[in-house]
Amino acid sequence: MSVRARSAILSLLLLAVFLAAWHLATLPRAESGASVDPEYAKLMGLDKPKSDGMPTPAQLAGTAWKQLSDPFYDAGSNDKGIGIQLAYSLGRVGLGFGLAALVAIPLGFLIGLSPLAYGALNPFIQVLKPISPLAWMPLALYTIKDSTISSIFVIFICSIWPMLINTAHGVASVRRDWLNVAKTLEAGTVRTAFQVILPAAAPTILTGMRISMGIAWLVIVAAEMLVGNLGVGYFVWNEWNNLSLSNVIFAIGVIGVVGMLLDLAFGALQRAVTYVE
Amino acid sequence: MSLFRNPFDGETNLTCACGRHSTQAEHDVDAEKLSRQALENAVMRSLFPKDAERRRFIRSVGAGTASAAIASLFPFGALEAMAQDKGKVEKKDLKVGFIPITCATPLIMSAPLGFYEKQGLNVSLVKTAGWALIRDKTMNKEYDASHLLAPMPLAISLGVGSGAMPMQVATIQNSNGQAITLAMKHKDKRDPKQWKGFKFAVPFEFSMHNFLLRYYVAEHGLDPDKDIQIRVVPPPEMVANLRAGNLDGYLGPDPFNQRAVYDQVGFIHLLTKDLWDGHPCCSFGVRSEWVKEHPNTFAALYRAILNAAAMAANPANRSTIANAIAPANYLNQPVPVLEQVLTGKYADGLGNVKNVPNRIEFDPVPWNALGVWILSQMKRWGYLKGDVKYRDIVDQVYLMTDAKKRMKEEGILAPADMPKKIVVMGKSFDASKPDAYVNSFAIRRT
Amino acid sequence: MSAAFLQVRGLTRRWSPGAKPVFENVSFALERGEFVCIIGHSGCGKTTILNILAGLDEASGGEVIMDGREVSGPSLDRGVVFQGHALMPWLTVRRNIGFAVKSRWPDWNREKVGAHCQKYIDLVRLTGNEDKKPSALSGGMKQRVGIARAFAIQPKMLLLDEPFGALDALTRGAIQDELTSICAETHQTVFMITHDVDEAILLADKILLMTNGPQARIAEIVVNTLPRVRSRHDIHHHPHYYRLRNHLVDFLVHRSKLLQEGREDEAANERLPRVVMPGLADHEIVPGEAAERVPALKQVK
Repeated sequence: MSVRARSAILSLLLLAVFLAAWHLATLPRAESGASVDPEYAKLMGLDKPKSDGMPTPAQLAGTAWKQLSDPFYDAGSNDKGIGIQLAYSLGRVGLGFGLAALVAIPLGFLIGLSPLAYGALNPFIQVLKPISPLAWMPLALYTIKDSTISSIFVIFICSIWPMLINTAHGVASVRRDWLNVAKTLEAGTVRTAFQVILPAAAPTILTGMRISMGIAWLVIVAAEMLVGNLGVGYFVWNEWNNLSLSNVIFAIGVIGVVGMLLDLAFGALQRAVTYVE
Repeated sequence: MSLFRNPFDGETNLTCACGRHSTQAEHDVDAEKLSRQALENAVMRSLFPKDAERRRFIRSVGAGTASAAIASLFPFGALEAMAQDKGKVEKKDLKVGFIPITCATPLIMSAPLGFYEKQGLNVSLVKTAGWALIRDKTMNKEYDASHLLAPMPLAISLGVGSGAMPMQVATIQNSNGQAITLAMKHKDKRDPKQWKGFKFAVPFEFSMHNFLLRYYVAEHGLDPDKDIQIRVVPPPEMVANLRAGNLDGYLGPDPFNQRAVYDQVGFIHLLTKDLWDGHPCCSFGVRSEWVKEHPNTFAALYRAILNAAAMAANPANRSTIANAIAPANYLNQPVPVLEQVLTGKYADGLGNVKNVPNRIEFDPVPWNALGVWILSQMKRWGYLKGDVKYRDIVDQVYLMTDAKKRMKEEGILAPADMPKKIVVMGKSFDASKPDAYVNSFAIRRT
Repeated sequence: MSAAFLQVRGLTRRWSPGAKPVFENVSFALERGEFVCIIGHSGCGKTTILNILAGLDEASGGEVIMDGREVSGPSLDRGVVFQGHALMPWLTVRRNIGFAVKSRWPDWNREKVGAHCQKYIDLVRLTGNEDKKPSALSGGMKQRVGIARAFAIQPKMLLLDEPFGALDALTRGAIQDELTSICAETHQTVFMITHDVDEAILLADKILLMTNGPQARIAEIVVNTLPRVRSRHDIHHHPHYYRLRNHLVDFLVHRSKLLQEGREDEAANERLPRVVMPGLADHEIVPGEAAERVPALKQVK
């Protein structure tokens, strides 16, 4: 048997062990509540089987099925299907990230072309970059005075740095030879920028975008939990509000899968622009 | 107690706490009439705190004349619109923020029960993650009106803990309805004197929860700033933290007290009703500027909520309400939990079934004395420094005081205090002497 | 001399003002259609001279005049083949050359550019590899693309910066042959840096010998007296070959350093490098400027 097949079997085995352990750990315990007053038991919800928080794998699968079978339901301004919630989150991420790319890539280009600007701006970038995105939230809310725009701003501000730094770095480290080729061929500034520097720096820029997208996706969930705009973060918060762990776990799974898909998409883009020297 | 009886009926005894009686001919729940009556009722009560005097007045001038006289003295600033014919609403689509707790009941149930629609409003209720956020969104004009904690409009108007912005309290959302929940491991420590070093949670700094918890432990000789820790924790996280052992207890809003019991992680130590029966909790707040810009809209919104409050006040409706507000769109809680909170028949977490019909009440009038008490506690615990102009502040924020000012201008007796005296843990509060009240406490930050 | 196609006069380059120059007082001239190699040890500033000719670097002193005009900044008149081929790895062979062609003739349409590219791809015998990316090509093929790119813009002069340095001997030989034939065909003026004495003898009409840096200079201009049409296979049978080769090797091994050390007294009486023809036997030396200088050389030896 090939190593690949054996590792696949081992993976499945691990999953089975994990699910079994999970199932056993979360089985509803038999209540020894025979002595409890029936009225009290009813008020406590003990008359019907009740899970104490952690769902069994089967319950989780049921929740996932229920959510996924009707992802676009709309039961009011605060209760929408996971598909709609995802669309809200992705929309915000797309907007914040897109704006950040619109600013970061041209700006990074200029910084990368000028060692002076690179040196002058680098300290600021280094200080601003490690700030936890959510630390911007109160400031954003206070100054922007709109929670949706604030969360988009937070996405913007946290996804701008990796793109800015990578673009600047990519542009600054374009091989002299290629620039010299462009110069000796009297290629103009615009032509050099778009046909030489941009493709040369594209893999580095895409790496920055990929990092940014990862951060943006992490941040949107937290921002929505904090600000409570509709979205996956809100979904988690709303189910947390109800202490419904099975919905929370389901949402965690969805967030993970969507994050992975976004990363894969950027990975594919990155491969498309990567060249072998 | 119901505020929705005809105050101009000379035979009605307003201090009576029973339901509507048959002598009242008009039993309709028409929104306009109800709200006008609620306000007129309040005004009458303020004008004539003694029932005998009120009846004498009505008998001498006649109910109609009294009504007309009061109506003419009913300018209440923006509330004027309410006394007049229904004006055209300036803004139909409204955004109203709420926190998913039972205090928000009148505000929420107006939606599924169609009260907003009936007033020609299209209200979208926006669930909000926390009090600081709802404050910011209200101040940022994202929300037209909001569910706020009763002390918040005062704090915001004063600029304590946030930027200053004139706010107004249109109605009190609910009274009572909170509880102290302790972790199961403390079921033998029922005496607060044993609570030294406990970690407690409250939902917000400027909340009745904070002030009542401080009051309660201080009355038992504990300094809330030294002997216990008080943290601000969003209500849903209170239960989880209690389960994790990060908290020893909390004074929080329902349904999270009952939810802790339901999830078997805590028990209800006491209801806040036992500390002060009739204390306000949450309010329905608006920016003063918004009221000026949208007097008719405000009046319509006001009518819808008063109507809802009237319905919520009736214990017979409580089960219906529990079902109406339970879905994910609103509170997202199990119906049995909400029923226990609203009907007052609940499991206390220690194996007992309690029956407390006034566990939560819905009296909408924002009495200024309530505001003064809140300010006195803000002063007591050092949130306000120096001289506090209690009445001036409350006059600007709690809409009842606007009426009072106008009455003064008309040369009418200034209203006395609210009919139900403020008695907190057996100690009476005189709203005319707040500083003396503050200074009467042994434990204080002044 | 004044009519020479390229004139380089008193070229000096310092990395910073006041520092010792890398090279100084470098003067030479190229006639149209001439193939000139420059030889010298690393650090003597060969590449810098080439960059200045290309317009990619600026001299601290001196001037370069090509075709009657002073060189300032890069121009399509001078095609450059870079040391590391400098192909853009994200473009195919065709598009790498196309980039250059489009630069030279921006108004050309796609077909015309394509046809022109194809011509030069065929010329360097890369037919069939048009759509490959550089990463899919061998070192020799890459360098051929580089040469095709430089030739495709039909420059007045070609600058080659040690183009075959990284290639194995066989490949190098093959491309050298191609270069020779293309140059013969196009009468291209070429300035080439090399480390390889045999390459210089094979390709060049004149060989510039540089002393070691810093303060390097051109010590001699060696005239290649071998017949213009040369072949790698029998070139070493020519009587001039070993004399020329020994002279060059001797220069690189001994004299380049000696000349640097003893440069001051020599430089004082030399404004222009000596022109020598070591390929000729002593009795073959023709009278003239070059002949005068040969004994002086021998003294140093």
